[in-house]
Amino acid sequence: MSEPRPDYLPEAIREKLIHDPRVAEQDLRVEVRAHRVMLGGNVSSPQLKQRITEVAKELLPDYEVVNETTVVPAAEPDGEEPVS
Amino acid sequence: MIRIAAVGDLHYGEGSKEILRPSLEHLQDRADLLLLAGDLTRCGGPEEVKILADELRGLPVPVLAVLGNHDYHADREEEVRRVLEDAGVRVLEGEAAAIDVDGVRVGIAGTKGFGGGFRGAHGSDFGEPEMKAFVAHTKMLSDRLERALAGLDADLRIALLHYSPIEATLEGERLEIYPFLGSYLLAEAVDNAGADLVLHGHAHHGAEKGRTPAGIPVRNVAQPVIRHAYNVYTLDASRQTLQAAAGGIS
Repeated sequence: MSEPRPDYLPEAIREKLIHDPRVAEQDLRVEVRAHRVMLGGNVSSPQLKQRITEVAKELLPDYEVVNETTVVPAAEPDGEEPVS
Repeated sequence: MIRIAAVGDLHYGEGSKEILRPSLEHLQDRADLLLLAGDLTRCGGPEEVKILADELRGLPVPVLAVLGNHDYHADREEEVRRVLEDAGVRVLEGEAAAIDVDGVRVGIAGTKGFGGGFRGAHGSDFGEPEMKAFVAHTKMLSDRLERALAGLDADLRIALLHYSPIEATLEGERLEIYPFLGSYLLAEAVDNAGADLVLHGHAHHGAEKGRTPAGIPVRNVAQPVIRHAYNVYTLDASRQTLQAAAGGIS
């Protein structure tokens, strides 16, 4: 497999983040500008956010990785909703 | 009043320990049932679901679940199911269960469901074998859901899915991926059989609330959407009974 052309690089990163078992996230936003990779979306834990950065850096060691993913809060709900 | 706690898309794996458990400490005071709408693991590994199962084990309310697409990724879904069931979680796939809550019989029919799209833009089982298999899978699971729901002898009936039955709870997702997020065939199954509430996950960027074409409330409980450990929905069993009686007379 040849190196992805720049136009296809974001999708190559996205695929890596989906298939690497340390991450396996299908809903991450990936943008590449110059030598900077920007990652966004929701993640379930701080550990997973860290793994995402690690995997992206392994794939593209010469790029700066800016991980702007958000750890989703998992506190108890404030109330309840009557649906019927 | 029956209180249903629900969440989906917990995606447990390495580093997930204790994400949910602290918020389950008061579950008994807040809900009568806990329903899990699939994608309980990151990659479908039994060792991943074991972390979640250990947090659910011994909860004072019944816990029922469907699996999601992530839970099938390692082709070990039967093991995933066994780990959950060993922890006391009832896993539904084309099946139904009825739970007695203070004299009210609450029925839950569950399936993972699958994709295809929505009315006016649904895939057809036509052409290549891969396309036929894709749509046939959705049809099979929708048929099983309808039969499971229709066969429930219960005061309240809930459909528990992973994939979405409607477009409204996908709002926020990219339109191009709607066919991979759900199918109207699931909504048709629910509307044919009747239900009081439909719960699903899968659409992390979607919206929480919608209704089937027949008006049944649908809630997307994907954890990134509800942004809590779970949400609680209440159902009034007496009101449902009266509505059913009025419907029968008319």
